This record gives sequence, structure tokens and C-alpha cells, in this order.
Amino acid sequence: MGAIGSMLDDEEIRDWFRREVLPLEAQLTHFIRRNWRVEDDVIDLRHDVYELAIVAARKGLPVATRSYLFVIARNHLINRAKRARIVSFELVADLELVDHDLGMFDPDRHLNAREALRRVQEGLATLTPRVRQIVQLRKIYGLNTKETADRLGIGSDAVRKQTSIGMRALTDFMLGVNTRVHTKSGAPKRRGRGGAA
Amino acid sequence: MSRAEQAGVEAAAWLIAQGDGPLPPESQAAFDAWFNASEGNKVAYWRLEFGWEEADRVGALGHDPAALVHESRYLPRKRWWIPATIAASITLAFGVHQVAIQQPATAPLQSGAARFAARSYSTAVGGSRLVGLPDGSRIQLNTQSKVRTQITAARREVWLDRGEVFFEIAHREDKPFIVHAGDRQITVLGTKFSVRRDGAKVVVTVLEGRVQLDELEDSRPTGSSIIVGGDIAMAAGPATLVTARSEEKVESALAWRKGMLTFDQEPLLAIAAEFNRYNTRKLVPDAQSVGAIRITGTFPSNNPDAFARLLHDAYGLGIEDTEREIRVFR
Repeated sequence: MGAIGSMLDDEEIRDWFRREVLPLEAQLTHFIRRNWRVEDDVIDLRHDVYELAIVAARKGLPVATRSYLFVIARNHLINRAKRARIVSFELVADLELVDHDLGMFDPDRHLNAREALRRVQEGLATLTPRVRQIVQLRKIYGLNTKETADRLGIGSDAVRKQTSIGMRALTDFMLGVNTRVHTKSGAPKRRGRGGAA
Repeated sequence: MSRAEQAGVEAAAWLIAQGDGPLPPESQAAFDAWFNASEGNKVAYWRLEFGWEEADRVGALGHDPAALVHESRYLPRKRWWIPATIAASITLAFGVHQVAIQQPATAPLQSGAARFAARSYSTAVGGSRLVGLPDGSRIQLNTQSKVRTQITAARREVWLDRGEVFFEIAHREDKPFIVHAGDRQITVLGTKFSVRRDGAKVVVTVLEGRVQLDELEDSRPTGSSIIVGGDIAMAAGPATLVTARSEEKVESALAWRKGMLTFDQEPLLAIAAEFNRYNTRKLVPDAQSVGAIRITGTFPSNNPDAFARLLHDAYGLGIEDTEREIRVFR
């Protein structure tokens, strides 16, 4: 990245990203998945959206992160669709109407500590026994790579590899499960139109 | 490998390396170059950094085997052993860690009780099962019930997943016994009571002593009631209703322990529902003609046929027997 004028530094961007963007990940993923028929692209598209969001935020953090993020996502999907010609015009038209839905998402996506804890526990349960064991050794008993390797009688590279798997899977799980907490009587509604699956 | 995945794998590798201590200068330079190469790398790094920090919460629960109980519901029982096994071997392998780990995780290990720490018990339709717990408590499962228990030197906990269980709790002044049933939590020191759970509805019937019934919202207690011997508390959603003291009612509610069902002026429809908890062949009263008839009495829970014959003899009701059902009508 070239240095342009008074751009926000990594510290500020990182704080914002963690505080306001990541809690929206489940919704964002859902949004992309609903509007993009190639499942294999979803994670890459989300990655693109994060990247675009950060590039733009360097010039100043958005006032409303949610609508900012979803507008970026929508525009990105439209651009990709037009370029790739794999998506029907109806879908593009559909996406252009997305504005109406942006305000309908549940405002508070931050998990409280107990919910987050439960989420981690559920995430742990999805890991293979070996990966889970390594995550537990590291997180509960504070062992480093070397100690974990010695403990299990395996190589440090194997420990790193399994830790990497655990780290990525837990993160996906923590951020990805769509929460339906705090839905009050005026629960957010699904989009009226049936989007492409 | 996709771009996002590639960035994720690289970010994870850096985070793991950094987690083992400060990077040597040449690695640090390599990291800086990678990190600053694209916003995409930063995104991947910050995202995993955040997720991995969140995973620290596992450690925040401390060295407590029970902390790992919740998530294990769908896994074979074998994996309950993992935390205990780890704790034991670490104690042996790393003297330095011993102080931190010793209590409370290894305490039950040393007494051998950890072998029995986490268990699951269930009964089929019409089944009943008496189980002795390692702390001296006894539980009796009624029909179609499932519980998981976690009894260690540090804590005594039971999760009632479905059905009804009678608890006879050995008294331990300093160690409460906790029953989790949906969004209700029952805490006792030593007493006799039963908990019945139908989905979100929880009924606590206390035979002796006192229990504390807490309502949990988002896992935090929001309301608390004390229920004493002779009380029955019914809890559903935000409401908890505690009935006036009635030894008789409690006796009736607990008659199932002797294989009996006791009713006091109950409508036939409700009685049929009660019988049907215990039997695969269902008692089906015609709601319109006979559903509201009220009946008092004590009947064996496993014999709906005898009950139906009684209805025929005493009330002149029609009975139609099929393989699956016993229809009652007028």
C-alpha cells in the first residue's frame, strides 16, 4: 500500500475491524451465499469485501458500518456478476434493490461473554479429537508448540499444522454461526423476495 | 487453494509462530513484508487473531473438566476423558504446571472418581432406572428420560435433557448439587426432589428439604425461588408458579417411582397423556364425548388396558382395542 496523505493507521483500522466488522460476519456470509450461486466463491468473496472495506476505510471510518459493509458487498457482487456473466440479470436487479434490506438486520450482534463462551465450546466440539486436544493443551494449559509436541510425542510441524486447522475452524465457527439472540418482538424479517438459494 | 484460504493459512502460521515468543529479526522482517503486502493479508491476520483470542475463553474456564461438558453432548463418551487425561499427564510431565493444574482438575483423578465423572443415562418408553452416583447420591429415571451427570470432587452437576428424574442427594455442605433443565437451574445441598422436563416446561417437586430454582436468561440467573418440601414449582418461559404446600400432591406426583400413577379429579384427556408417557400403545379418549370426565384414583402406569377395562366397567364407556391404540368413547 502506498502512503497517501492522512490515512488511518493499522491500529485504528484493526480496532474498527474487530469491533464493528467481524461481528457482522455471519450476516455478511449469509448475504453473499444468498446472492451468489457458486458456493465455492463465497469465502473468497467475503475476503474481497473485507479487503475493499478496509481500503475504503483508510480514508475515514464509516459512520454506519453495517450499511457501509453491505453496500460494498452488494456492489462487489454486482461487479463480479457483470464481469463473470454467470449470474442472471434478474439477480443483478435483485441486488440493486438490496438497499431496502440493509436497515433490517438486527442491530446488536455482539455476543455477551457467556454466549461467546458457549460458542467456543460448541466450536471445540466440531473439531477432530486430535485438533481439539491440541487446542485444549494450548488454551487451557498454556503449552507452546514445543511443549505440546513433547507432550504428544509428535513433531512441532504437526502441532503447528493442527493448531492452524483448529485456529481457522474455531474462528469460522465463532464468527460464522448465525446468531438469533436478542430478537425482540420486532424481529428482523427475511427479504420478501425469495433470493437465489 | 483459494485466495482467502491461502491468506488464512499464512496468517495462522504467523500467529502460531508469534504465539511461541518474539520472532527473531529475520522472521520479523519477513512477517512485516507479508503483512504489508496487501490489505487482504491484514484482514486474514486480524480475523484469525480475533478468533484465536476469543478461543482463549476456553482457558478462562480454568482447569475444570466440567467446563468442557456442555459441548460434548453429541460425541461419544470416550472424549469426556480427554481433559482429565491431559490434566493427569501434564501433572506428571511438567512439574512447574502442577500447582496451577492440581486443583480442581486432578483432585478427582487422584481419588479415582474421574472415571465416573461424566456419564449419560437414559430410559426408553415405560422404562425406569435407578442409578447410584459416585458422591453417594441416587437418581431414579422415569420413562423416556435422559440425563448426563458430571460428578467430581470439585462439583456435582446433572443435565436433564428430557423426561423426569427423582433425585436423592447426599448432603455435602460445601458442594452444591446442580441440576440443569432447559433455562432453569436447580441448586441443592442435600434433599429429595424430582425434576420433570417437557421441552421448555420444567416442573420441580420437592419431597424433603429445600431447593433453589433459578431462571436463566442467556446463562445468567434472572429470577430465583426457594421451594421447600411439599411444594411443586412449575416453570415455563419467564413464569414460575409455586403451588401451595401439599404433601398429598407431592406424593401423587412421585407415585411413578412405585410404578403407579395417581390422579385427583383429573380430566381423562390429561390422564391418557400421562399413561401415554409410559406405554407405546396409546390410550386415546375421544375428546368430545369423554375427554372431560374427571377421575380420581391410583393405577399401575404400565397397564393402560386395566385402566380402560375399569372405565368400561365403572362408566360404561366403549373401548376399542387396536394394535397401536386403545380408543375410549361413549
